[in-house]
Amino acid sequence: MNNRLKVLRAERSWSQQDLADRLGVSRQSVNAIETGRYDPSLPLAFRIAEVFALPIEAIFQHD
Amino acid sequence: MASRSRSSQQRRRFFATHLALSAAYIALVALAAFLIPDEAPPSATVILLALLPGLVIVGWILNIGSLLLRMEDEYLRMLEVRKALVATGLTLGVCGGWGLVELFAAVPKLPVFFVFPLWCFGLAVGSIVNRLTLGEDGGEGCA
Repeated sequence: MNNRLKVLRAERSWSQQDLADRLGVSRQSVNAIETGRYDPSLPLAFRIAEVFALPIEAIFQHD
Repeated sequence: MASRSRSSQQRRRFFATHLALSAAYIALVALAAFLIPDEAPPSATVILLALLPGLVIVGWILNIGSLLLRMEDEYLRMLEVRKALVATGLTLGVCGGWGLVELFAAVPKLPVFFVFPLWCFGLAVGSIVNRLTLGEDGGEGCA
């Protein structure tokens, strides 16, 4: 699965830690999702969409 | 921010319990060694005294299980689960493999006592596997 997390984060000038704090997860989790090494669960994907105020499909795309 | 502090709180609690159990383990092994004479017959008292440190091993396992249940960060929890899987695979592989060698060759028997330490060693191997397969952030973890 591809995602636009890094771009969306950069647009808001957030560090990985900033995003992690907003999501209530570790910085390692954000890094693993951004680099495509980990696909988040559906509840976490919804939280990410909420934080960016975007629909899930605008952030995550299937390969 | 709250999640980071919760996560470090969970780690602190895990390590505090682990240290307390380790101290109890050392004390109980020392007690058993002090009270049980060499080559003692397997009486109920001797078996009970020898099993007391075994309760601590159960406590260690429960502590790891409780950490996995409490962890709210799904990625960090996955890292811990992967470590436990590597440890379990390594332990079963080594014990099963060596058991077959024991069946067919005159080799020393693997003392069952070493199964749990082997599993703990497997956790360290699991941590290395995480780091190698998931990069630097894969090496994080508690146990």
